[in-house]
Amino acid sequence: MSTTGATGEERAKNRRGIRGWLNPYHYNLERWAYFFQRVTGVAILAYLLGHLGDTSFFVGGPTGSGPSSSSWAFIGSIFENSFGHLILVLLVVVLFFHGANGIRLILAEFGLILKKPGRIEYPYEARSLGLGQKYLFWLALTVAIIAAIWAFLVLFEGMG
Amino acid sequence: MRESRLMLVQYVTAVLAVVLVSIHLIMQGVLYPYTTAISFSNILSIYRNGLYATFLEALLVVTLVHGFDGVRIILHEWRQTAPWSRWVDIGTILAIVISVGYGTRTVILAVFGGVAA
Repeated sequence: MSTTGATGEERAKNRRGIRGWLNPYHYNLERWAYFFQRVTGVAILAYLLGHLGDTSFFVGGPTGSGPSSSSWAFIGSIFENSFGHLILVLLVVVLFFHGANGIRLILAEFGLILKKPGRIEYPYEARSLGLGQKYLFWLALTVAIIAAIWAFLVLFEGMG
Repeated sequence: MRESRLMLVQYVTAVLAVVLVSIHLIMQGVLYPYTTAISFSNILSIYRNGLYATFLEALLVVTLVHGFDGVRIILHEWRQTAPWSRWVDIGTILAIVISVGYGTRTVILAVFGGVAA
């Protein structure tokens, strides 16, 4: 459908922007997966930037000049506690979900897990979205949960 | 670069990131107990091993390119005007250069810097 000649108001209604993400009305499984893929991606990038900052303390921080055990001990005293480890467990959940769901998306992008598209009929479900890619979504969630349990055992071992 | 090529970069870095991050997690949580993995002496020995240092640099570049390109894609989906697209692309390149530069500085200093108490 051409949008040529649409008024500014019509264009504004059509462009939901960030609110389009946050409104779950009429979301199907794939739409939720899309939403979580982006939210987890942004969260991982935020952690990654923080991780760049904290690992720099291995060499004395922004003004350091080489490996420094006192600087490393200082940053460890801030982050190596139950709260810091809880953040790492959450990170592992989103990391594994993002990775596993990302593989599903790549396979779908190259058409490897999609069925042939067919004529749209009631109840208007996309025929190309087969069970295979749905199973992969649930597999991604399962992998994330198992990884979280593993991370919890590794990080909280001996903290009690 | 054409958008289709950039999307391919996103997929290739995604696959590489899955492999590299998996190795990183195995090194941090499987090969050694966690407290040993994050000890100063263990990290120093990792950085001073040329292969591991190269691995960490590759991990740095791949994850940051993938992460910032992902944000670029989100921002392009959000708004589609020529100035917005141009500034998003410029901002993405700057963010990658600055963050990779800062991370590379850590790797170089850890490998070649003098060890202090």
